[in-house]
Amino acid sequence: MDNRSPAVEQKASSTVHRPSSGFAQAVFAITWKDLTAELRSRELLSAMLVFALLVIIIFNFAIELEPKLRPVITPGVLWVTFVFAGTLGLNRSMAIEKDRGCLDGLLLAPVDRSAIFFGKMLGNLVFMFSVEIIVLPIYSVLYNINLFNPGLWMVILLGSIGYAAVGTLLSSMAVQTRTRDMLLPILLFPVIVPVLLAAVKASSGYLQGLEMTEITPWLNLLVAYDIIFLAVAYMVFEYVVEE
Amino acid sequence: MKPQPKLLTALSILSVLLFLAALAMVFLYAPLEAVMNYVQKIFYFHIANAWIGMLGFIAAAIAGIAYLVKKDMKWDIVEVAAVEISLVFFFITIVTGSIWAKPSWGTWWTWDARLTTAAILEMIYIAYLMLRQGIEDPERRARFGAVYTLIGGLSVPVTFLSIRLWQTIHPAIIGAQSAEAQGSFGMTPAMLFTMFFSLISFSIIFVTLLWHRIRIGQLTNQVEELKHKISE
Amino acid sequence: MIPYEVSIKYMLAGYIVILLVLAAYLASLFVRWKKLKRELKTLQEIEKK
Repeated sequence: MDNRSPAVEQKASSTVHRPSSGFAQAVFAITWKDLTAELRSRELLSAMLVFALLVIIIFNFAIELEPKLRPVITPGVLWVTFVFAGTLGLNRSMAIEKDRGCLDGLLLAPVDRSAIFFGKMLGNLVFMFSVEIIVLPIYSVLYNINLFNPGLWMVILLGSIGYAAVGTLLSSMAVQTRTRDMLLPILLFPVIVPVLLAAVKASSGYLQGLEMTEITPWLNLLVAYDIIFLAVAYMVFEYVVEE
Repeated sequence: MKPQPKLLTALSILSVLLFLAALAMVFLYAPLEAVMNYVQKIFYFHIANAWIGMLGFIAAAIAGIAYLVKKDMKWDIVEVAAVEISLVFFFITIVTGSIWAKPSWGTWWTWDARLTTAAILEMIYIAYLMLRQGIEDPERRARFGAVYTLIGGLSVPVTFLSIRLWQTIHPAIIGAQSAEAQGSFGMTPAMLFTMFFSLISFSIIFVTLLWHRIRIGQLTNQVEELKHKISE
Repeated sequence: MIPYEVSIKYMLAGYIVILLVLAAYLASLFVRWKKLKRELKTLQEIEKK
């Protein structure tokens, strides 16, 4: 499956999976479509990556801190970077659907609306993870700080999930408005404050080697947010894409 | 467009009277507080405004869900009206809270849970209005509005709890005088009565304003439909 | 106890804000209503033609 015409889309999807074998198949088909399209053009990933690296470099000049304070600001810098780079990915991912009419093709296919949601969300997640995986080692070199920390990685995973869930839903709306790209951050940022707060606090906890009792509340908050908003986004997505 | 119902006219007059009465109570009846002197008097209307903000918030959330379920435009009208009123009154709440805070705590702003959540809520409202502005089709506008009301509305209590988990110095207004709770004060019966009178007055004011704003929404839709019909 | 002059100043500032914002909002409601009424009348006349 690729991002060509809706007719090809429809034919491809009916030969790639049958509706009865369902949901998971549809989800992965959609995710795969996004990933293979990106593999060929690499526009989105390179843009997100270069942007993220530039943000990190800019932070060096924006926040001048003595080396021993670096562990304190690292979680904040990392998460601001991920949130902004993530916005790029979310915007683009939906804009492509709209501009090439793929969304209509997808909607015509005998696929549950929410499968489209999960498919897009997973695609967005993979893009975010790709950026995060590359940014982490580069950051640790530039700022001389050890980020080889599975606890930190888990927090990044949980935070990205919550961000991608709400982001995919809201970008589907934003792309259908007059103001499009500009609107997504305005809609998204106030709503993901809990994710940002919890992720930064938990990341900070792991990086500073704090006791688990201090970190667990933040992890719980992240998990709760992820569950609540994944559920709501999944239920509400069909209202956003109906024609 | 129907002419203003008599009940609404009566409510409007009642609202004005109650507002003036509440003002009078605050300035003439309520006693002075021991520590904060006249500054404390801001509290009565600050809390009452916050209360209306909350009512608007809840009304918007209910209207949003109702629209998604019923697909009836009248819920959309209620939703916008409630959001707008809540926006205005939470704005007053934040500003009066800030004015109260400066002499009491020495700072215009603190990043405590209530204040920060109120600020974020204002941003969500503004985002909501910008979202609606960018959509031409009334049906899609209503649908997206309802979805964002749902997402935004759900995020607010979660945000509040997260920040509370983080820090707070907001005062506890009723209860035992405690030296540890920075900025708290006990309320005498006269103060309590003034407070409840303000709350009830502002509740009536809320209903009146909501009704007026809903009528504006209905008129707006009527005009829009007519424009559409003519341009075809 | 906060001194009288200071406390009065802040209290008045608070209530002035309340009154101003309320007045501004009520005015905006009124202006919008009038504008819509006018627009409706104009459109209804156009429709008749």
